[in-house]
Amino acid sequence: MFRKILIANRGEIAVRVLRACKEMGIRTVAVFSEVDRKALHTRYADEAYRIGPAPARESYLVIDKIIDAAKRTGAEAIHPGYGFLAENPLFADRCEKEKIKLIGPSAYAMRTMGSKTLARQTVQAAGVPVVPGTVEPIATEAEVLRVAREIGFPVMLKATAGGGGKGMRLVREESELSSSLRMAKSEAKSAFSDDSVYIEKYIENPRHVEIQLLGDRHGNYVHLCERECSIQRRHQKVVEESPSVIVTPEMRAAMGKVAIEAARAVKYEGAGTCEFLVDAKRNFYFLEMNTRLQVEHPVTEMVTGIDIVKEQIRVAAGEKLSFRQEDVRQTGHAIECRIYAEDPDRNFLPCPGEITSLRVPGGPGVRDDSGVYAGFEIPIYYDPIISKLVTWGKDRTEAIARMKRALGVYVVTGVKTTVPFHIRVMNNRHFIEGNFDTNFIEQVFFKEEEGRKLANEEVALATAAIQLFTEERKRSVAQQPGEAAGPVSMWKYSTRPGIRKIG
Amino acid sequence: MSYVATIDEREVTISVEDLGGSNYKVAIDGVEHVVDAQLIAGTLWSVLYGNGSFEVDVTRLPAEEFEVLIQGDCHKFTLMNEQRRAMIRAGGKGSAGKAMLTSPMPGKVVKLLVGEGQEVEAGQGVIVVEAMKMENELKAAVAGKVKEIFVEEGQVVESGAKLLLVE
Repeated sequence: MFRKILIANRGEIAVRVLRACKEMGIRTVAVFSEVDRKALHTRYADEAYRIGPAPARESYLVIDKIIDAAKRTGAEAIHPGYGFLAENPLFADRCEKEKIKLIGPSAYAMRTMGSKTLARQTVQAAGVPVVPGTVEPIATEAEVLRVAREIGFPVMLKATAGGGGKGMRLVREESELSSSLRMAKSEAKSAFSDDSVYIEKYIENPRHVEIQLLGDRHGNYVHLCERECSIQRRHQKVVEESPSVIVTPEMRAAMGKVAIEAARAVKYEGAGTCEFLVDAKRNFYFLEMNTRLQVEHPVTEMVTGIDIVKEQIRVAAGEKLSFRQEDVRQTGHAIECRIYAEDPDRNFLPCPGEITSLRVPGGPGVRDDSGVYAGFEIPIYYDPIISKLVTWGKDRTEAIARMKRALGVYVVTGVKTTVPFHIRVMNNRHFIEGNFDTNFIEQVFFKEEEGRKLANEEVALATAAIQLFTEERKRSVAQQPGEAAGPVSMWKYSTRPGIRKIG
Repeated sequence: MSYVATIDEREVTISVEDLGGSNYKVAIDGVEHVVDAQLIAGTLWSVLYGNGSFEVDVTRLPAEEFEVLIQGDCHKFTLMNEQRRAMIRAGGKGSAGKAMLTSPMPGKVVKLLVGEGQEVEAGQGVIVVEAMKMENELKAAVAGKVKEIFVEEGQVVESGAKLLLVE
């Protein structure tokens, strides 16, 4: 087993990995940028190593600095967390060359799964169902038409060099194909200077369901069942749960089996996730494989009782997986809400700044994976995630009830967070019924929220009026002769004129 | 002291009287309640309204705007005392047609979309500020001419920093 591990990350995930290491008796090294000197991961680790200025590309993303820190501190392994260098094959190559164990899969597995085309070919060869279509560019309109007829409308045209929705066109009928193709090509040309497009079957109102995997270097693979991640905003997961209400035992076994085949195809080592789209008829299609620890791994830990980070560390040290497939049991139900420093009542505007007070929930079945504390100033440079609140219950109803209870007492002042947004989601009828897909938040939830009548309006008005009353009284006391200069305003925004709503 | 709240188009009259300790007599449109309000930390109040116990987070914005969070619901309204309201009604506002755009959050100016002297429409994107890996396009509040730009591309700004003036 390793004696010392360097964690090449920050925030809640660095803290999560530190916790696993501490429990395993492994010494820990944190790395931190200039603005993270007082961050929780820096304070929590046994050793901490300064790696440069605040922007990630000058600190957390600089391979040389991470490797240098590992060598100087004598760390035998590096845990990359998620984001930053976690899926960078160049980093994996470098670790191998320097004989430092990277806790994760090989550079080969990262490269294969990181390429849309290669991943699709590889898993298809392993018998994994993929969304029907081509990944290679299609040259002529006649060829596009032939493929579209073969896979059936609706189809999606996508730019080969694409991203961010540019060069993408949904085609519902054959008659629209010609003009949509022209538009997709011209958009792709101007956005990426490459007008090649490919074609895929369009899955209507899909759900996003993924399978958690673990593999060791001795050829053992297990899956830890599914996570339902359809609650998304701008293609970002915000609420995850396990199990999924639409997954039957047969479907779970089938998805688990193909996910393992995908992992086996690249000799996958460590923790990974196969993401699938599921259509209304419960057909599932491979989307991509994430070759790292996922943000939402705690929901799986809560229902299986397996500590995924510890398993990652054990298999990285060369040990065999500590359990077999038949030992995996999904017990009860778990839900995670990602808490971001964003203002849900101001179009999710980022809200960096100092957390002036913090009260986190506790009690039965509640887990708060946080990376902050009261007094910490959330920097502007990184991801806005500050915590993941996870609840477990004997069934979905109890897990939701606990989540509502926990969110209700989660207090963060100084910055706005997405806690109120999550309370509203937990109270939404469709969410409670399990009736949603990946378009739910943007197409259903926000619309329903717009006209919703708010509770406790009188309490809101009374409290605001009392605040104004006490504030005015203080000011008038300060203005009396003989008093010192007026008191410093305690209200954060009162001295900041001209805040405008942004679109 | 008497106050007027405006919620959407609706007006509500509120009066507050200090009863000592943390107790207040509050009348909302003439209906009286005794309210026990304790400031806990920062912007957070513990409020006993009748026998109901509430945690209330009050954010005060400029221009008499309030945002009050209770149990996940965000109540937005303006609130001011009656004198102030009378003053505004009498036309004491003075700065119509002139708008200072300030940064709603700390961040970095990524791009200026307009130059000094340029005519802009109300609602037109004028500057892009990045925070936490997200780019946010800020819009002009009024139509007019960009009178002055206070920042440069690449500059890090605090929340509330002056960005540009439209007149």
